Amino acid sequence: MRVPYSWLAELVELPQNIDDLVARLTETGTEVEELEKTGAEFDHIVTGKIVSKEKHPDSDHMWVTMVDLGQDEPVQIVCGAQNFEEGDHIVTALPGAHLPGDIVIKKSKLRGVVSHGMNCSARELGLSDDHDGIMILPEDAPIGLPFAQYAKLSDTIMVLEPTPNRPDMLSMYGTAREVGAILDKPFGIEARDLHESDELSTSDKVAVSIQDPKRAYRYNARLITDVTVGPSPEWLQDKIRKAGARPINNVVDLTNYIMFLLGQPLHAFDFDTLAKNAQGKVEIEVRAAQDGEKFTTLDQVERKLTEDMTVISDKVSNKAIALAGVMGGLNSEVSENTTAVLLETAAFSSAYTSRTSRNLQLFSEASMRFERQVDPNQVSWIADYAASLLAEISGGKIAKGAVEAVAQEFTMPKLTLRMDKLRSFVGAPISDEEGIKFLELLGCTVNHEASEASKYEVQPPSFRPDLEREIDLYEEILRLWGMERVESKLPAARNHAGGLDQKQKLEKKIGQLLRALGLSETITYSLVDANDLVQLNMSEVGLGLATKLLNPMSQEQSEMRRSLIPGLLRAIAYNQAHGVSNVHLYEQGTLFFAEEGKKQPKEQNFVSAVLCGQWQDDTWMGKEDALGFYDAKGIVEVLAQELHLKKVKIAKGDPDRYPHLQPGRIAELISQGQVIGWLGEIHPRSLKNFEVKGPVAAFELNQEFLINKAVELVEYKDVPKLPAVEVDFAIVVDEAVTAERVQQVISSSGGKLLESSQLFDVYRDEEKLGADKKSFAFKLRFRSLDHTLSQDEVDKALRKVIDKVSRATGGEMRA
Amino acid sequence: MAVIDELQDIETQTLAKVSSAQSLKELDEVRVDVLGRKGSLTNILKSMSSLAPEEKPIIGKRANEVRKTIESALEARHEALEEAELDAQIEAQALDITLPGRHKVVGSQHLISQIEEQMCDIFTSIGYKVYDGPQVETDYYNFTALNTPEDHPARGMADTFYVHDLSGEQSRVKGESDVLLRTQTSGVQVHTMENLKPPIYMVAPGRVYRRDVADPTHLPMFNQLEGLVVDEGITFGDLKGTLEYFCKEIFGADRKVRFRPHFFPFTEPSAEVDVSCGVCHGEGCRFCSHTGWIEVLGAGMVDPKVFEFSGIDPEKYTGFAFGIGIERVAALHYNLPDLRMLVEGDMRFLNQF
Repeated sequence: MRVPYSWLAELVELPQNIDDLVARLTETGTEVEELEKTGAEFDHIVTGKIVSKEKHPDSDHMWVTMVDLGQDEPVQIVCGAQNFEEGDHIVTALPGAHLPGDIVIKKSKLRGVVSHGMNCSARELGLSDDHDGIMILPEDAPIGLPFAQYAKLSDTIMVLEPTPNRPDMLSMYGTAREVGAILDKPFGIEARDLHESDELSTSDKVAVSIQDPKRAYRYNARLITDVTVGPSPEWLQDKIRKAGARPINNVVDLTNYIMFLLGQPLHAFDFDTLAKNAQGKVEIEVRAAQDGEKFTTLDQVERKLTEDMTVISDKVSNKAIALAGVMGGLNSEVSENTTAVLLETAAFSSAYTSRTSRNLQLFSEASMRFERQVDPNQVSWIADYAASLLAEISGGKIAKGAVEAVAQEFTMPKLTLRMDKLRSFVGAPISDEEGIKFLELLGCTVNHEASEASKYEVQPPSFRPDLEREIDLYEEILRLWGMERVESKLPAARNHAGGLDQKQKLEKKIGQLLRALGLSETITYSLVDANDLVQLNMSEVGLGLATKLLNPMSQEQSEMRRSLIPGLLRAIAYNQAHGVSNVHLYEQGTLFFAEEGKKQPKEQNFVSAVLCGQWQDDTWMGKEDALGFYDAKGIVEVLAQELHLKKVKIAKGDPDRYPHLQPGRIAELISQGQVIGWLGEIHPRSLKNFEVKGPVAAFELNQEFLINKAVELVEYKDVPKLPAVEVDFAIVVDEAVTAERVQQVISSSGGKLLESSQLFDVYRDEEKLGADKKSFAFKLRFRSLDHTLSQDEVDKALRKVIDKVSRATGGEMRA
Repeated sequence: MAVIDELQDIETQTLAKVSSAQSLKELDEVRVDVLGRKGSLTNILKSMSSLAPEEKPIIGKRANEVRKTIESALEARHEALEEAELDAQIEAQALDITLPGRHKVVGSQHLISQIEEQMCDIFTSIGYKVYDGPQVETDYYNFTALNTPEDHPARGMADTFYVHDLSGEQSRVKGESDVLLRTQTSGVQVHTMENLKPPIYMVAPGRVYRRDVADPTHLPMFNQLEGLVVDEGITFGDLKGTLEYFCKEIFGADRKVRFRPHFFPFTEPSAEVDVSCGVCHGEGCRFCSHTGWIEVLGAGMVDPKVFEFSGIDPEKYTGFAFGIGIERVAALHYNLPDLRMLVEGDMRFLNQF
């Protein structure tokens, strides 16, 4: 809402300093978006007087003038106009002035004579098309005044953004009321007399009906005849221009003026374009549009309507003539030939107007006001006021009486205000008197007699549809009393302990572990490309259906993710494209699995990571290893260990189940038989689709499963006091024999004395070991908890292990 | 030579050798020469039996004196040489301590989750709990139960992402859906009030979605932290005190906090909360659009209608709610030029924090 300061000052007494008003508006809940100074384009342009006028020595059409600009000495200006005399008051642009058409005034020489500026025509100032010489001001025009000030072009426009619950503030009048309330000053507009014609009665010419009371409260029609359409008076043009409308003609300008002044949108029809019945009467009907009805609005766009839009039609032709509350029709537009105007003042339903606007993507100053609700109870007097002013500026005659259809009365409920409750709700000592005064300043009627202690009856005004409940009154009183004055307190959470729950603590712990292990956290979009899983070649088994957007902005963000990996791969690609080759990222985030028959998808938290390149660049101490499967596995192992997962196993994964992973480098994390997730290296073909240079090791674990399998309270085990005996042995086996297999046999054959076995070397050498052979070296640690082991005992246990392992794997002991 | 003189010689010569020994090895050779199995002093001691009986006590006493003297000289010299060798070793082991240290790579926490964690810590420390809610939400929880009017523009397809409803139910508006990506974390308020009895002191951080094209100041997906308190006797003064405490913890104790009346459908009275600009300290600068203040929070007293939707008696309980954009705090704190950096995963960005 654009509020010119000068206009507001006509309606309510304002402080000298505009900043004081801005501060008060801000404190009471009206945002001042911007202060716009007008007239700045006329900087360095001043009024002056021609002191002398002499022929230019080298030109037959130019003059050398001396101009009094209110300074000590007159200024010399060369001028080509012919329409002035000595003593004329004129407008002069001085060096530094910017004129329309990118003209910058500088001191210059014209055919050898110095000119310190330019005497301007109205066209040169961008004020009109008048170019018949320079502007001549009246004789009493002051000298040396900035032109903007002289022409009253300098003003400050406050761009206010009232909150959406305040339709009353979308007018100068309502803004004046609010300002009056916050400054405790009277406000108002001058009343106007209505002079109606005796010759013609509106009701002889117009009938009005509202088909559906849900679509309009009221519709008032007034007829103004003998209208001369032409430019509006200067004062009116000036006001609507500052308020943001372009002057068109007196009729249209008037409707805009009333809308800005009083918040009531009007519409003017050219009466002669409307169809008449046998009695010569126009029958206005407010009705639902027909599905598929076509209508061309004032902006010359043909629109296809639906039945939840409301139109004004003349019933005789059954043609729409306006889109109710949004825009008029081209077929009944006021033109320069119009002589009779049907003036519509109506209160349309906010819901229907809003839907119409939105469905047609057609928003107007009028629709914006109807959407927030126009006060039906002011329709009648505003119609009279508007008709009276229209007649004055267009020379028209007002037909006798208005025709008004009332489909629905609009009343605001009476409210009970409990000041005691208000005080305890706000926590501030606001007196009964203050509360009552604020409400009255805002237009409420308050019964000062308390029915009980501090209990008052309040009637809110109909221009404040937001005051429906007692709480709404609290808000009004608090904002005028001052939020800043309320004493701040910190509530103790009585009978309530705070903190994270076990699940949240473990989520946090997982993040901490991953960072300690070298991964950095990132965030990727949960809105993803519908093609992501196909590009990744990830199996959709167990991932449910995609949650697809109805209104995506792009294919790249058209459904909810079912894996974190595509987003993480994109992050690698982004890094690689920017010259960063060591990338190790994790994300803890939600995945969405939809299901036929379910309204909402299942949302589950996952933790995933990708590793690519090295942990860090090579250092002076040596080369760093390339990251791969075992780095991902190591991280997963630490997670499992630190969360104390129950019965953990990392098992070989099936390539058919995980087609997005490189076969032979796939594993599953399993706890108590439940698959928690997978780990592996991303398949090179998938990497290619994401333009990632591999290898990329990755894992994706269901964080909820992970947390469910975590053991909260770990059982204590005795720390051994007696010494252990460590023995190394190495065995040569076929390539096909896995480390896990050998480990299993060692564990099962080691007996009670075997405490642990640690694989410390894997060695291949075709010459020494033979083709397709490898050597595993293990360190076995034997210990008894109750006695120190003898060499015999250890030898016996070791022989058994070697024996069993050789037999089970076909392996041979290495010397 | 008489035995007694021999002893004197051994003593004199050995002490001289001990003090001139330059290494532990050399010193040990001296020891072996004198005290070893075939050492000179050892030999004398061994031959004691062949001495005349009257000589035995005199020679014996003297031999023991010599041995003790030599032993303590050896020991002293040994210690001195050991010290010297350690000093030499230490000197030889001096490092160029300017070479970089050896370390494992440690990852960093994302800026947004750092801030989120910091915020949750502030609230859990004053008795709040942390709750979560679904991101794919029904319009009931995202709008209706939060008192948002049916025709509110925010409900439109232009502002809110809707998803296909697979339940087969008819939607509120023909051709649309009642399932959406939540536009605010406020729905968690409703879930919490349905599931718990007051007193409620909670915060809910999480992702929210709005139909904005990603640009330096907008992301279609961002994070909010929602807060809700419901208890007997909660006042607007409690709201102010709580949020002032929070703002000062997050932005610094020297920042001023102000409350401007505002409008939200689910709170009344409502306020926007500003903190004084950290760049100009309230003087007004480009960063704060010359107002001296930066808007950081929306808040208000829970609207009685919202209580009614969740079955809480508004005559018995009052409460307040607030919401804060986490990306906004990040941008304010770190002066980020472009919010899109937060979702690109650039290691050079992530590892700064």
